[in-house]
Amino acid sequence: MLEADQLTKRFGDRVALHPLQLKVEPGEIFALLGPNGAGKTTTINLFLGFLAPDGGDARVCGTSVKSDPVGARRKVAYIPELVALYPRFSGLENLDYFSRLGGRARPADELLALLERAGLPRDAATRRVATYSKGMRQKVGIALALATGAKALLLDEPTSGLDPAASHEFSRMLRRLAADGVAILMATHDLFRAREDASRIGILVAGRLVAQYSRAELRDQDLERLYLERLSA
Amino acid sequence: MILAIAKREFVDAWRDGRFRLAALLVLALIGASALLARAQNERSRTEREAAARLERENWVNQGEKNSHSAGHYGIHVFKPAAALAPFDRGVEPFVGPVAFLEAHRMNQTAFLPARDGTAMRRFGDLSASLALQVLFPLIIVLLCHGTLAGERERGTLRQLLALGVTPRALVAGKAIGLFACTLLLLAPAAVALAWITADTPAQPGADITTRAVALAALYSGYSGLFVLLSVAASALARSARSALAALLGLWAFNCILAPRLASDLVHAALPATKLAEFDAAVNADLQMGLDGHDSRSEHMQEFTRRTLAEHGKSRIEELPFNFQGLAMLEGERFSSAVWQHHFGRLFDQFERQDRAVARAGIAAPLLAVRHASMAFAGTDLAEHRRFALAAERHRNEFVRVLNEDLMRNAPPGDHRYTAGRELWESLPEFRLAPSGFGDAWSTAREGALVLAGWLVAALALLLVVPARLRGADA
Repeated sequence: MLEADQLTKRFGDRVALHPLQLKVEPGEIFALLGPNGAGKTTTINLFLGFLAPDGGDARVCGTSVKSDPVGARRKVAYIPELVALYPRFSGLENLDYFSRLGGRARPADELLALLERAGLPRDAATRRVATYSKGMRQKVGIALALATGAKALLLDEPTSGLDPAASHEFSRMLRRLAADGVAILMATHDLFRAREDASRIGILVAGRLVAQYSRAELRDQDLERLYLERLSA
Repeated sequence: MILAIAKREFVDAWRDGRFRLAALLVLALIGASALLARAQNERSRTEREAAARLERENWVNQGEKNSHSAGHYGIHVFKPAAALAPFDRGVEPFVGPVAFLEAHRMNQTAFLPARDGTAMRRFGDLSASLALQVLFPLIIVLLCHGTLAGERERGTLRQLLALGVTPRALVAGKAIGLFACTLLLLAPAAVALAWITADTPAQPGADITTRAVALAALYSGYSGLFVLLSVAASALARSARSALAALLGLWAFNCILAPRLASDLVHAALPATKLAEFDAAVNADLQMGLDGHDSRSEHMQEFTRRTLAEHGKSRIEELPFNFQGLAMLEGERFSSAVWQHHFGRLFDQFERQDRAVARAGIAAPLLAVRHASMAFAGTDLAEHRRFALAAERHRNEFVRVLNEDLMRNAPPGDHRYTAGRELWESLPEFRLAPSGFGDAWSTAREGALVLAGWLVAALALLLVVPARLRGADA
């Protein structure tokens, strides 16, 4: 579970994140929408402990990020906009390294199976990453989330720049992870993907969570209209 | 976790074409310099031994002559080539391996390779130690500057931290992995050292193996220092390019600017006596004592009076020995003290300068390493002083034996007395016992401790830099 309890961040005089109250339950995908500079990445950084909050706290599966940032990171997987990998290593070697450092060393055949489950063919998994497309990199990121067995997942613009097919495949994997009970918080600009994948959507404007909608609430609504209305409000 | 990071770093470097190129470059440089220097050292050793044999032959076969005249005929003695000189030539090109021993004066060593060589020689004088002191840090800087800054730029740093990897473990793993790569690059130097050591004729007491191990440890420490500094710079810099710029600046200061600057500053702060001043001071002091050749000087007249009084005689012809021989002995005792005093002062000045440059290693570690390396290789100033002192002791003994022969065997007042082969053969050949590791360490200690200080400071810096890897800008 991911939980923000009055989580606040200031940069000098500017409030980047007003007290945020948020709970992402296991099996839930929460899409955080908002324009550039709204505070989406700041929220992710606060959950990862890369930023110290000025107020409140973030918790990952019950572990306070403020008091035990390393312990909290051990319970969460993180997929950035572009999964960064070591170009002179294969996807398999990258996965082995990252999962080992994440405290979940696994044998090679298990890792290969995870990469295949994430949609990366076996022959690609053993090829050097320097030749990978962005979609293939994101698949290694998904495989890493699977390898670490994290019960919470943070995503920062994960489908940005992916072609529709790769984006669709990525969404499929996300939904599968959620079905396995993973709590997912995804910062994104992609309204289409948010609507397709998220169980709840929040709109962040100037550091404030100004609206939240459940999938049911959005059923007959035009998300783009709602989003633009909230921005101009 | 630290070992996994170190292993990845090592494998990554190994797969990097630049690393393999660097390894080839180091192999070529160290290999070529060791092979050439070994051949040169062997040639030099053979030449010195042949020259020493010829010198002895000439001495023994010089024919009958006055024993004091034989003192003026003189002999050359040769400094044995240091076993590890092919690795580090130290001050040898600048001090000369030959001393001419003669009556009345202590000469400077001669046949300085640096003086005898052509101007082109300075461009071709590459030794393994020079490659390790100057080029190797540059290779380390080029290979390591992006280790953390590159992770930051690539985005992998953020992912590693998100996995719960602590910055301290990351920094430690990087440093260990890169140091392992560096040791791999150092392997040709270690092989060269082992080969030089194994190929050296046995010299009891020279502790060649211990010296070689000390050299290996010294250069491992020096390389390790540049790895630590590169990792620290890479962690502190905003980009790999900034880290490279800072490290190149450090390298240029350490390897190009500091040696020249330290030398100039030390010469200004602790000036050594100039050659003309040295000669003038020696001559002034020599005037104050007995000159065995100057029978009309006041000192000689006083010495004659005293000697005659001691023996209760009124004329030197009545003395039971050859007075000229005694006067030569006495004059030599005095002049030798003068020469030893002035040369001792000169060597003290050089050693003070040498120590000061080693201490300047606090600002530039190359200076400390160079000092310790020469001492371990047995090619430093202290080793040269040991040769000069041994040569002077041999000169004193050689002249004493000749003058005593004159005093005891030449009839009083007889200037036609001659000695022959039997006397020449009775003079022992010059032998310089090799100095042990204890002697080398007593000189190298200063440089080695300064390097150890650098290593401690760099490790302390690595304890601080992880704080720079925590933020969202990681």
